[in-house]
Amino acid sequence: MGNKKAKSKAGNNGNRSRNGATRTAVNHGGTAAPGRSVERSSPGSPNHHLRSYEIRDYRLERPEFSVHQLTEKDIQGREHVRYQVSGDFDAPVPPIRDSKFLSKQQAVEIYRYMLLNRKMEIALENLYKQGKVVGGVYFGLGQEACSCASAYALDKDDWFAPMIRNQGALLVRGFGARDTMMQYMAKADSPTKGRDGTSHFGDIEKRNMISPISMLGDLIPVLSGVALGARLQGRNVAAMTWIGDGGQSTGVTYEGINFAAVQNLGLVLVVESNLWAYSTPSNMQYRCQDLAERAIGYGIPGVIVDGTDSCQVYDAAREAVERAHRGEGPTLIEAKMMRMKGHAIHDAATYVPKEMLDFWKKRDPLARFENYLVKEKKWLTAKENETLVAEVEQVIDAEREIAVNSPMPTPESAEGGVFCENGCHEIKPKYGTPNVKKGTASYKETEAAVHLK
Amino acid sequence: MQLTYLEAIRQGIWEEMERDPTVFCLGEDIGIYGGAFKVTDGFIDRFGPERVIDTPIAESAIVGAAFGASLTGMRPVAEFQFMDFIACAMNQISNMVAKTHYLWGAPAPLVLRGPSGGYVHGGPFHSQNPEMWFVHNPGLKVICPATPYDAKGLIKAAIRDNNPCVFFEHKYLYRRIKEEVPAEDYVVPIGKARLARAGTDLSIITYAAMVHTALEAADILSQEGINLEILDLRTVSPLDREAIVQTVKKTNKVVILHEHSRTGGLAGEIAAIINEEAFDELDGPIIRIAGLDSAIPFSPPQEHHYLPKVEDVVRESRRLKAY
Repeated sequence: MGNKKAKSKAGNNGNRSRNGATRTAVNHGGTAAPGRSVERSSPGSPNHHLRSYEIRDYRLERPEFSVHQLTEKDIQGREHVRYQVSGDFDAPVPPIRDSKFLSKQQAVEIYRYMLLNRKMEIALENLYKQGKVVGGVYFGLGQEACSCASAYALDKDDWFAPMIRNQGALLVRGFGARDTMMQYMAKADSPTKGRDGTSHFGDIEKRNMISPISMLGDLIPVLSGVALGARLQGRNVAAMTWIGDGGQSTGVTYEGINFAAVQNLGLVLVVESNLWAYSTPSNMQYRCQDLAERAIGYGIPGVIVDGTDSCQVYDAAREAVERAHRGEGPTLIEAKMMRMKGHAIHDAATYVPKEMLDFWKKRDPLARFENYLVKEKKWLTAKENETLVAEVEQVIDAEREIAVNSPMPTPESAEGGVFCENGCHEIKPKYGTPNVKKGTASYKETEAAVHLK
Repeated sequence: MQLTYLEAIRQGIWEEMERDPTVFCLGEDIGIYGGAFKVTDGFIDRFGPERVIDTPIAESAIVGAAFGASLTGMRPVAEFQFMDFIACAMNQISNMVAKTHYLWGAPAPLVLRGPSGGYVHGGPFHSQNPEMWFVHNPGLKVICPATPYDAKGLIKAAIRDNNPCVFFEHKYLYRRIKEEVPAEDYVVPIGKARLARAGTDLSIITYAAMVHTALEAADILSQEGINLEILDLRTVSPLDREAIVQTVKKTNKVVILHEHSRTGGLAGEIAAIINEEAFDELDGPIIRIAGLDSAIPFSPPQEHHYLPKVEDVVRESRRLKAY
């Protein structure tokens, strides 16, 4: 895992202040978020009516593309609509921004997880072609830095819930490639024992992972609730999840972030701006320039990073995680990159203009990080790199063998387990019994204020 | 101690919060204001704003946050100002909360509670009985108490249950009925029906406010020598199949009574259970008394027409008795 810090205790739930000699008031600073001041231009200046907000943008390049629907006629005069893109496609690939936090050993470890992520998905593609996968395969190609470096910023007691392109985050958090592979093959030994596929599984006991569902945005209030539950038990944890530029269009995204904002909860939301939501380009999802700007409306910090730069992703995530640990509330991180395959394996993504694909191919996160570690920083020799790649391939081969050899579930195993019953789970607070304070007010019958008679 | 239905629920939640520090409440206007119906009145003073949380008007966030907290071992009790608004959180409940134990083995001990039901001229968005939406979602327990004793015992059982429970409080009953409730701690088991009235001629299978409608009808019919048995289901999912079959075997004639719309309603499910398990015991057709297949209208004469009434139960019971 990332930098180890002493575990923070939940924030002091109140600053005591004396109001006269007899009354004591308690501000519940640990629940609702404090109000914040707004920076204004100085009185008397011509811009005194303007307010200003900050969005930190860590990128070393700021590509701007505009995608439009274009109607053209073919030779027979029939009309067809396609996407056309405009922008500067010849810009040079920027360097990796040095991390404020990562040691050599940590950087290499992130690189290894990205390799595992890439190779696992190649293995999945092959398993699909061999007819061993039930249903489709989803890829995080081009998004490995975003998935792996962000999850790497979490501490052991933190929580996460991946979306479909964050299969790398599962590897970082200690799941085997076999787990995801068995899910795709609907095997009896898969984490859900065949009941769900893909990365739809979880583990609330050891790895603090909540299973995603296919509906987008629904994890956001859930992760906020995890942070709330932990805070009630005296711990400020970071609760990380991801959402695409398409998924963030849902209403529950707003509800979830807003809840974390007003309650000052340690949600770390990584918005994966990967330009395509299935076949819909991002400028048909939202009108603002950058999704990080949404943070202004929520009243929380918003940050932009290059999603193909592992160091930028890590640093932003680590800062957000530390903010969460300090009880300072949620952070929205927008990671800019492109989804480099179709929505799923069935989708050839022919709707994506070729210039865009070529531009982002040059920004492959794995190739960029490899170049950084081997050539720029010389933290890995070419030989060490080769050894590492070979080791990762061996791991994936071994994991695939185990996964392939797992049996299919029996038909009868579809039954049971709908309810938690007969002591199948013991429920106890994860971080210890909440230390509750009780007021002096005692129970009294309520006055009959009847809403509807 | 004589308690109203509302007071019984209040006391049940209060006692659970006193007993178990992992229990906390969240919802709209439940703190200083004490909730639209005052169910959590005074809670914030006793338990503090950390455990009695006023939320934004965001039902998906309320359910999502309750669910997330439950995964850390807390026992959240989420209030819906009216159960009509639970529709706003349907995806969270159906796709996240209900399926979680079956799919990936995570228990979610949370309670989603709030007022439902008609007879108060609340109109189409403040009078609904949406329990069937949840009955058709395996993984949820759906509870609809009819009496103060049951309301208190069942809310306590729901809070202690390791599964998501949807708890419907009939708002018509909130302050209209009162009964003796023991001061000492007790729970009413989820999934067990109660014989509200023993009888011999025919069985009314019902729950929530309709139990009282059936009881009134029983008083009228007893003067004609028709002796109704009334089965109060108390929990509509899981259903107490055994109790249903037992009453059918006893009286051989069944009326199923519920407030929500007839089509796709609980009566259809109960009729199917009777067909499967006690068909040979029937001496007449199974009769349904239910709300109309429309939204619940606002104007009192229209609402009255929409909802089941004592005279409906009397009329249908006479017809079935004579069959």
